Amino acid sequence: MTLGEAVDVALTVNGSRREAQVEVRRTLADFLREDLGLTGTHLGCEHGVCGACTVILDGEPVRSCLMFAVQARDATVTTIEGLAVEGVMNDLQEAMRESHGFQCGFCTPGFLMQITAMLAENPNPSEAEIRDALSGNICRCTGYESIVNGVLRTIGAPVPESHPS
Amino acid sequence: MQASAAQPIAQRFIGESVKRSEDPRILTGTGNYVDDVQLPGMLHACFTRSPMAHARITSIDISAALEQPGVVAVLTGPQLQELVNPEAASPGFFGPAPVNYTVLATDKVRLVGDLVAVVVADSRYRAEDAAALIEVDYEDLGPIATAEAAFDPAGTPIFEDLGSNVLTQPALASFGDVEAAFAAADRVVTARIRQHRHQNVPMECRGVVANFDPETGRLMVHGSNQGPGLAKMVMSAQLGLEPDKVRVVCGDIGGSFGLKMGTSREEIATALLSKHLGRPVKWIEDRNEHLMASGHAREETLDVEAAVTNQGDILGFKVKMVVDTGAYPGMGGMLGGIVQAMFPGPYSLKGFEFEFSAAVTNKASYVAYRGPWAAETFTREVTVDLIAAELGLDPLEVRRRNIAFQPADNPASMLTGRSLTSCTARESLERMTEVVDIPAFRARQAAARAEGRYLGLGLATYIEAAPGPRGAGGGGIMGKEQMRMRLDEDGTLLVFTGQMPHGQSHETTLAQVAAEEFGVPFESVRVVAGDTDQVPFGFTGGSRSATMAGGASLHTARALRQKVLEASAHVFEADPADLEIVAGQVGVRGVPVSARPLAQVVAEIRGTDRLSEDVDTSFEVTNAYDGGEGGWSGGTHLAIVEVDVETGLVEIERYVVVEDCGKLINPAVVEGQVRGGVAQGIGAVLLERSAYDENAQFLAGTFMDYLLPTTMNVPRIEIHHLETVPLDPDVNFRGVGEGGMIIAPPTLVNAIADALSPFGVRIEEQHLPPLRILELIGALG
Repeated sequence: MTLGEAVDVALTVNGSRREAQVEVRRTLADFLREDLGLTGTHLGCEHGVCGACTVILDGEPVRSCLMFAVQARDATVTTIEGLAVEGVMNDLQEAMRESHGFQCGFCTPGFLMQITAMLAENPNPSEAEIRDALSGNICRCTGYESIVNGVLRTIGAPVPESHPS
Repeated sequence: MQASAAQPIAQRFIGESVKRSEDPRILTGTGNYVDDVQLPGMLHACFTRSPMAHARITSIDISAALEQPGVVAVLTGPQLQELVNPEAASPGFFGPAPVNYTVLATDKVRLVGDLVAVVVADSRYRAEDAAALIEVDYEDLGPIATAEAAFDPAGTPIFEDLGSNVLTQPALASFGDVEAAFAAADRVVTARIRQHRHQNVPMECRGVVANFDPETGRLMVHGSNQGPGLAKMVMSAQLGLEPDKVRVVCGDIGGSFGLKMGTSREEIATALLSKHLGRPVKWIEDRNEHLMASGHAREETLDVEAAVTNQGDILGFKVKMVVDTGAYPGMGGMLGGIVQAMFPGPYSLKGFEFEFSAAVTNKASYVAYRGPWAAETFTREVTVDLIAAELGLDPLEVRRRNIAFQPADNPASMLTGRSLTSCTARESLERMTEVVDIPAFRARQAAARAEGRYLGLGLATYIEAAPGPRGAGGGGIMGKEQMRMRLDEDGTLLVFTGQMPHGQSHETTLAQVAAEEFGVPFESVRVVAGDTDQVPFGFTGGSRSATMAGGASLHTARALRQKVLEASAHVFEADPADLEIVAGQVGVRGVPVSARPLAQVVAEIRGTDRLSEDVDTSFEVTNAYDGGEGGWSGGTHLAIVEVDVETGLVEIERYVVVEDCGKLINPAVVEGQVRGGVAQGIGAVLLERSAYDENAQFLAGTFMDYLLPTTMNVPRIEIHHLETVPLDPDVNFRGVGEGGMIIAPPTLVNAIADALSPFGVRIEEQHLPPLRILELIGALG
């Protein structure tokens, strides 16, 4: 098998069955973005550090820049495009909007998927647990407080005042 | 009086944390960033880059690359240069560059990561495969790795036409009576203040899709650029196309912080290749290229002499600044003027002498990074603490003693010229002492030290010309702000702005101002940005948009409202002065039943034959705003830290901001800008460094080497707003984009120095990672 050789891949993405021929060396991120047109997943470093490309694969958050598409064979993948339900933003998305969670929006898909995976495992995290779970995702715009607040708002926890008197 | 309850209530949007218009697409993955652009037949460019810092190219072999599957073209530097408009000067930061250079290196390379050749292929994978097969031989010319080396006349000139490696020869400027200030001093405090090389690092790297249509001769550029109009000018000049043949469109931009201004050599090369091949070509920078060669900032040394009295009066400064501008000229050579003008800050001085020079080195170009002139604030605020330490005084008291008083009827001026009218440095400092109980901290600090724990408190004060006072260098800095607005048939208010938002939420904030002033619901306003065919010339930068674009939005909406009211007068058969627009309805003031939706009124106006021909029913206004009375932004930041003297790690226990950017348009947006800036300042001090070795070899090419702050490094940041000094009858919004990044570094450095004072440590530098902390306290043996 050579790097440029194409193989058949079938998987479920955001609830839809997708089948395609992909080069064995094609990353899952490039497959999602270019072959499936799901450009909501972003590439921030392509070496697995920044977390912008995080998607949920069989329930686990993974870095789609570090996986080949063929490794996702028969898997169930959720991307940021799969969060809203019938065009209506979900609670996390609404809470992030309410909290002014993000600015430029480039890191956003990775954070939303990482948070989604975290909340599936721990529906009621403390701020320290939230910060720990998000410590592998980099945002350059916000200083993170608005993102942490968005998670707290999602789970109905109190959001600290930005200027306590 | 009857039925007044039915009167639509005027809606206030300014001052509210209105939810962002950008968010529905950003939160659902439906934004449109440059790498999301896919065009039929699109090709992908990949550059071969130099592993050498300074070397002559002795041979280059592209034959293996040309034979690779999917490869459409491979060009060396000389081949690509043949495609460049020979009349065009090398592009500088604004206008022509001070030295000549080519798009790709033609004879020599000038930094690690310099462009040597380019491959165009049908996929990025194949382009990268081929680029790796290009064989280049180099003859080492000896790297110029530091500014000191650049000033050595024996060094090989990096640019032959410059004749040396000094881009700006030392030039001295003097203000007030410097000799008298130093003669009156009890002592002179000296310091060598250093900012280290670090960089913007937006989460989206640079990129471009260029699409030249051979049929029409038009070039369409999909960019990621803070100033699409500037990009259009550069592309037009470099490709030799008339400006009307070039259109630059930017969608969402994944951050920039000053980097994506102007047009890079890679972007120019991509456009040249599209024109050459007659096909769309995409170039998306990878993170390694980005860290290595997109541009760096802040490598500056300032030798300071401060003339002081034993009571803590600062009489004057003598400052010599040297900036390491890297190789290809960016913004570095232009810093001197603004650092000089801003150096006195809010302080009252009797004398100030400033010398500036700029060196060329074999490193990445100096680019604008959020508060590019921040060296003046860092140097001044760290020096103030060094003065206090040397005199045994409280740094807070030294600031209180030296900040110029601002009687409302007789505002002071900076010794370098600008009026300090509206400067609230003193107010922010005093407010900070109300917010933070400093004496209580000192007691806690003493108790902690007795237990072997090292707490520190640092503060720093700054002012920022955002936009600055009216007058010399003040209001309207960098020109007027253009804006166009149009009321559509359906009642939508379209706002065409020259601003190019890339995280600043202008789609929201400019709409807030326009909606409130025009009298329509927020949802009825749509902000159009980033298409040179539609929007006025402009750019986002310099913390200018709050005043300049906010003001333009207000005044343009006002002019358009007046136009609509004058035309409506004909169908309402009323005086325009008796009409109003409230919540999207036009009506006679005090007669609620007369109110009708704007769309209906526009249709009536355009349908009636009662109007004379001179009534303008286009409902479009173009306006330019000069900044009005302008004003200063600024504030005081305070940090409480604990330094672990075993590990060298610094933990920020509390970070407090008191800031004044005038009237807030959207508090959540303002606070997001402040926090983001502070986070970058935290990164600069504790983590980030664009490191080179002594041979100018780059050492920080991945995110494992170039460390960015995470959720674990950035604490919650308390923000207290001062909204002082209404200067202008209407526009008192001031800029806030850069302030956090300007003032956080000296705040943290002063806090760390305070924590380590029992060790007799004197800190004159900005970068304080754990190893350096341990070195400073003598823990490394």
